[in-house]
Parts: sequence; structure tokens; C-alpha cells
Amino acid sequence: MKSLIVRTFGRALAPFILMYGIYLMLFGPVSPGGGFQGGVVLASAVVLILVTHGKERVRRLIENIEWFDSFGAFVFLLFGSIGILIGGSFFVNLTPYSMTSLVFLDVIIAMKVFAGIVVLSIFFFERGVE
Amino acid sequence: MIESVFKRILTASLVIAICIALLQGMSLSYEDKAESPMFEYYLENHEETGAVNLVEAILLDYRAYDTFGEVLVLYISIAGIIILGKEIVEGKEEEAADP
Repeated sequence: MKSLIVRTFGRALAPFILMYGIYLMLFGPVSPGGGFQGGVVLASAVVLILVTHGKERVRRLIENIEWFDSFGAFVFLLFGSIGILIGGSFFVNLTPYSMTSLVFLDVIIAMKVFAGIVVLSIFFFERGVE
Repeated sequence: MIESVFKRILTASLVIAICIALLQGMSLSYEDKAESPMFEYYLENHEETGAVNLVEAILLDYRAYDTFGEVLVLYISIAGIIILGKEIVEGKEEEAADP
């Protein structure tokens, strides 16, 4: 059990880190940031809770998190394949301005990176310290 | 004994080599532009993708196929760490159980 100060600060900081991660993820095309960075920042909030409160606190979130890792890569592939289906090349532009697809791909990448980093962290916390 | 000394020398030389390689990057400046017409094209026309962020425009629009490879590399590396890591940890546990 961690001390009261560590637990309180972890609980207080996590929402702000989550919000910053979502901002980085959604505003990638118009400001510094993007899918990879947003995903890592989102994952850092969960890792903070994982460190300060233990695994029980985020159990419902991390139950099937490996699934999101595979799902992200798969959706990215499917999105690229739409171009082949409607005639054209891989990752063809669906709209004249590809802003929508940029944000969509950002969200997909962020989900994938988030799941991957959380899975890695859980794995190392559980197995690494022996 | 000799092996550990050799390992240390190897590690030290590796670190020095990496430092020298990284220091090469500091000598680059914005005057040394890549001789490619795409360089100017990206800088002038990246607004056509709708993204103000040039990095984002290249990463997810002009070079989305490369980003797909990047995502796959991350996926495969995480899958590999978890599969191999479980193998190693379980192997250690078996050794500890019956020596």
C-alpha cells in the first residue's frame, strides 16, 4: 500500500493527463501532437494509477486491453484497404480534404499505442520485479 | 575475468561509437537541405491535406503507408515481448520448482 500523499496525487493528476492526451490525439492536424504522442500520454495516466493504486483499481479497463492493440492495427489496415475497394490505390484520399481521415487515423493509432503501452507496463509490473 | 574485461571494453567502445554517431547530427543545419523536389513540395503544399501540422500531413497523408508499417512494427514488438517474456518467466519458474 502506497502512502496517502502518493495516492492522492496520483488520483488528482490522472484526469488532467487523460485530458491532455485526448487533446494531443484529436488536435494532431492543427497543433503539435498526433496519434503516437497522444496514445503514450493517455497510457501514462493509466500507468500512474497502476503505480499508485495497484491493479485492482483499473481492472475493468485492462481486462481485454490486448484486444484493442490488435483491433487498432486491423482497423488501420481496413481503412487503407477501402481505397482498393472503391478503385484506386492503398490509402487513397476519400475526401478532397483528408482532415477527417487524419483525425480518424489519429484516434486509431492513439488507441493502439495506448493499449500496447498499458499491456507492456502491466506485463513488466507483474513479471519483471522478481 | 578476461571475458568480463572484454565485455566492458566492448560496451565502452559501443557507447563511444553511438555518441560519435549522434554528434554527427549536431553538425547538420537547415542550410543542408535534401536535394529533392518533394522537400519543397511538402513545405509549400501541405495545406492541401487540411493539416496545418506539417509532420501530421506527411505522417498520415503523404506517407500513410509508412505509418502503417510503423504501427505493425509496434504491434509485432509488443506481441513478441509478451510471448517471449512469458516463455522466459515460466521457464524460470519451472527451474525454481524442480531444480
